[in-house]
Amino acid sequence: MAKNQLSFDSVTLEIIWTRLISAVDEAAAALIRTSFSTLVRESHDFSCILTDAHGRSLVQATKSIPSFIGTLPATVKHFLREFPPETLFPGDVLITNDIHQGTGHLPDISVAKPIFVRDRLVGFAASTAHAPDIGGKIRSPEPREVFEEGFQIPIMKFHERGVTDASLERLLRKNVRTPDQTMGDLWAQVVALDLMEQRLMALMEHYGLDELGALAAEIQGRSERAMRAAITELPDGVYQSELMTDGVSETPIHLAMTLTVDGDAIDVDYAGSHPQVDRAINVAMCYTYALTAYGVKCCTSPNLPNNEGAFVPITVRGPEGCIVNPVFPAPGGSRMLIGHYLPVLVFGCLGDVVPERVMAASGSPMWGMNQSGVDGAGKPYANMFFFNGGMGATHRGDGPTCLSWPGNVSSTPVELSERIAPLRFHYKRLRPDSGGPGKYRGGLGQEISLESRSASPIAVSFLAERSVYPAFGIKGGQAGTTGALAINGQPTDPKRQYVLDHGDTVSLTTPGGGGHGNPAERDRDSLQSDLDEGYVTDPKAYD
Amino acid sequence: MADLSLGIDIGGTFTDIVIYDPGAGRHHIWKEPTTPGDPAEGVIAGTKRLLATGTVAAKDIARVVHATTLFTNALIERKGARTGLITTAGFRDVLEIGRERKFELYDIFIEMPEPLVPRSLRREVAERLDQNGALEVPLDETALMDEVEDLVERGVVSIAIVFLHSYANPAHEHAAARAVAARYPDVSLTTSAEVAPEIREFERTSTTVVNAFVKPLAETYLDSLVERIQGLEIDGPFSLMLSNGGLTHLDEAKRRPVQLLESGPAAGALAGAFFGSASGETEVLAFDMGGTTAKISLIDGGEPSIAYSFEAARTKRFAEGSGLPIMISTIELIEVGAGGGSIARVDELGLLKVGPESSGAEPGPACYAKGGDAPTVTDADLLLGYLNADYFLGGAMAIDRTAAEAAMGPLMATTGLDLTEVAWGIHDVVNETMAAAARVQITQRGKDPRDYAMLATGGAGPVHAYNVARKLNLRTLVCPPAAGVGSVIGLLMAPARIDRVGSMVSRLDGLDWDAFEALYKALEDDARAVLKGTAAELDRLQVRRLADMRYVGQDSEVVVGLGPGPFTRASNETLVEAFEEIYRQLFTRTRPGVPIQVVNLRVSLSAPVKGGGMEMARSADGGEAALKGRRAICFGDPHRFVDTAVYDRYEVAPGEVIEGPAVFEEKESTLIVGPGARCRVQADSTLIVTLPADGD
Repeated sequence: MAKNQLSFDSVTLEIIWTRLISAVDEAAAALIRTSFSTLVRESHDFSCILTDAHGRSLVQATKSIPSFIGTLPATVKHFLREFPPETLFPGDVLITNDIHQGTGHLPDISVAKPIFVRDRLVGFAASTAHAPDIGGKIRSPEPREVFEEGFQIPIMKFHERGVTDASLERLLRKNVRTPDQTMGDLWAQVVALDLMEQRLMALMEHYGLDELGALAAEIQGRSERAMRAAITELPDGVYQSELMTDGVSETPIHLAMTLTVDGDAIDVDYAGSHPQVDRAINVAMCYTYALTAYGVKCCTSPNLPNNEGAFVPITVRGPEGCIVNPVFPAPGGSRMLIGHYLPVLVFGCLGDVVPERVMAASGSPMWGMNQSGVDGAGKPYANMFFFNGGMGATHRGDGPTCLSWPGNVSSTPVELSERIAPLRFHYKRLRPDSGGPGKYRGGLGQEISLESRSASPIAVSFLAERSVYPAFGIKGGQAGTTGALAINGQPTDPKRQYVLDHGDTVSLTTPGGGGHGNPAERDRDSLQSDLDEGYVTDPKAYD
Repeated sequence: MADLSLGIDIGGTFTDIVIYDPGAGRHHIWKEPTTPGDPAEGVIAGTKRLLATGTVAAKDIARVVHATTLFTNALIERKGARTGLITTAGFRDVLEIGRERKFELYDIFIEMPEPLVPRSLRREVAERLDQNGALEVPLDETALMDEVEDLVERGVVSIAIVFLHSYANPAHEHAAARAVAARYPDVSLTTSAEVAPEIREFERTSTTVVNAFVKPLAETYLDSLVERIQGLEIDGPFSLMLSNGGLTHLDEAKRRPVQLLESGPAAGALAGAFFGSASGETEVLAFDMGGTTAKISLIDGGEPSIAYSFEAARTKRFAEGSGLPIMISTIELIEVGAGGGSIARVDELGLLKVGPESSGAEPGPACYAKGGDAPTVTDADLLLGYLNADYFLGGAMAIDRTAAEAAMGPLMATTGLDLTEVAWGIHDVVNETMAAAARVQITQRGKDPRDYAMLATGGAGPVHAYNVARKLNLRTLVCPPAAGVGSVIGLLMAPARIDRVGSMVSRLDGLDWDAFEALYKALEDDARAVLKGTAAELDRLQVRRLADMRYVGQDSEVVVGLGPGPFTRASNETLVEAFEEIYRQLFTRTRPGVPIQVVNLRVSLSAPVKGGGMEMARSADGGEAALKGRRAICFGDPHRFVDTAVYDRYEVAPGEVIEGPAVFEEKESTLIVGPGARCRVQADSTLIVTLPADGD
């Protein structure tokens, strides 16, 4: 490519854009491989981005999960408010895990490095990653204030001109259970920032760019126009949906959404949703935005790259103090117990006008079991295992079985689980008849039974939803079955903490996905195959 | 008797057959159309044809080496045996539940791969071992036989046996296999302990089931092939190329065909390593670009890099996570949807995109004039002067330049660019896609792209290699002769090699060193027994011990090369150092204070095979004879075509130095070299290109 020929035509822009994506993907590859956090390595619970000088994102790593749509650029803008450009220097690294300025819960640590070309701030490299541990109470819905949830890092400089803030490091190490691993992952994030910085500077030099303004405007402008064009395909109107979630200890949570399609823009308002609660299921607005925008993106333009421009046409709001826009010091550690319902509300709003673009409700949020105790050698340990339900059906086919949605968290192999925790699994198997009947059947959930083999007591807490309100079907499809938690055979409130003694058993039954279309219209060969394979045992629902 | 070697590589379109004569340093290559119905038929026909030329005699062939994509294709097309699964009570759905992750984040219509064994053929038997292999519940052999009887009645001819924690203790799997074999000697059996004795039940089950699925096919096909080759009075020992680039013998291949899934690409990577070392390059980025895909593999220290797991039969090509996980050692290879037939389009953002959609062999690029009208990479290459319309496939194929120009029309209209701007755009975009894939791959290994020389093969590889290498700031480009048929050569380079793995999960500071050493010994003995059945020169046996290690708390391991052993308590420091060294290389810094653990032990035994290795000899006149003409070529500025000398690749003389820009044409491909580069011709006619310093 000839130099000094900067016209951002279809080719030049494609090349530069591919190279920018390659820079963040390289950083992501380095981060995934170096991280101690299972959630980063296996579930890609991280994000790497490059932004312009105003904190507006240009590119996001391909593997980042949807929870981080728009959160990291917002964090960079918070950094800039606290540290205006004149207070930033080459070699600085800014940091925070504030739940409102970050991603909605403390384990996600966000860092950003200002990038300078000829003494001029041109952009930021930024990264968020789920830390192996952040201190505080073991993850469960129980904390009543954010103070119980771990170590809070306000916006500050982790590095100033390349020098680490030793006080922050000492404080952080003192406050977490796994100081080496938490610090190690933080350093891995810094390495990712350095890599993005080098790649961006090399690219700018190659193309003779002194700043990113024109390039950013082009990338963001094209993305914005494409998103607006996709939204324009939706009929204008004001659409509403609502649903109930299990909530906390006999307080169900009502979620309401009003989605307005106005030409080429979408506005989402959560007015009417439940007030914030004194349990850790509140969803800070940054995460509310991410999961709402995810739902819109699935329906409108699933292949559009994630950058600032793509999300300009989508606005999201909710009354201050409601469960999806809580105020300090509301806790949010288990925010996905509400947050994972938000794209379902989007589908609910749009299902009547674009039924071919939505899915029935899924057996999500994901389920999890957290246990902590003391091992045979007297050392404390803590582990979290995840289990997923079935996905909803669509007009094209059955919902997939046991698949993480909208998150993307993998399950831990039984053989590993039994090795790292004093547990014996009796079964982990599909749950027949759990998928909602329909012309297209919902995906099946699963059932797991495990027993404590620990000589000493184990404290357990859970992430579990849809044990009261099932994943509903659409277009005449029926709901999947609800999930259930039992300890020693007794149905149990999954939002509380329990202590298991040797020989106690826990059974977790994850919910099935909702069906799509009238079950009587199900193809008879498919039904027979379901019966033969034991996915369905009673064909009556399909009469 | 002369020590000739016969190499057979069955690909999707062609079966490549090579006979190599080490005494004369000569090889004879024949391409025979593959016969999918009965692949042995093409092999025999091609071999007969090669023998009929009279240059070699069947009795002089001292060994036969074979690679095939047959088993991969059977898997992709799901045309394996009707397979059943016997597993631990409570866990028959492991194969279907998988790891519960999506491979596409925003696609609500996602389709996960169907399990190879349907639920009705997955049967449970009471038995249980704990994580250390200790007995919890004895194996119920009566129930086992009832389930097997029912499976056999339902037409199952191959059975996979997978029990929880069998990597720690295979006793139940062995007992079950013995019992089934005694009653049903004709049923094909695979235990997980023999194909993938590694922790993680889903991946182990998946690997075992895949083996069971292709095993009956492997048994029939390989027996028949060997018999028919022997019918040609070729008596040399028969070896097969494994996915890891090593050779094994017939019985092992029939027992564990899952190890052969990537045998074709492995041969290609070995050829890359060979041509790299022959040119003095040990760090090589092997770049093989064909009609629909580009394959990139890394060669470090003269050896192709090895991965210990991969995915087969993806439901969405190029989408990581959409395939069946297979835990075997295999040449590490990434595949990008970028080839000569890749189609260009303008996306909803107004950007020019190329691939992964491809025009395929039919109708092919627009310039083939076989009915295709989509603009492809080959069309762009033609318009830029990279390809010679009069010498396509050595002149065997007519090319229609007007059709290529017409195909660009819609793209010109959408983008407002002129003809050569669009053509250069397609060429540049596809190069950037491949460079980006290579960059991420290299970063994952903790290396710097500039450490590598690029080796270009495949029909389109040499056409694009120069500009891709420039994007990666590489200094050296190596282009062997007959780049289009290089991979079959790799078969003849390969050593006999057997890899074995065993699980042993323990912190280093609490390791039972006696058990550690004993497991290595057992793995080595097992591998050595297999090697004895090959033509390997065992007195030149190389034994390598490796271990999968990680910091406690991490979820995935790095593979660490250890010394030869034996290991004792005193080896602790050595292991820590070995781990930290590779960890630092991959991830820049170690984690002092965090304990280290081993997870799996691996051994790799290899030995050269008699008659292996290769010297390539040739002769050429060079000089004026080689210069066949000149043509105008675009090197980045769409409005400036550079007058470029065109050489006949077959006539450039060893030792000659040619300054870029230059074109080297041979039948299978065309090497393009830009201004400022310098090309040296090696004795074997390999071209070594030194790129100018200011990379793109």
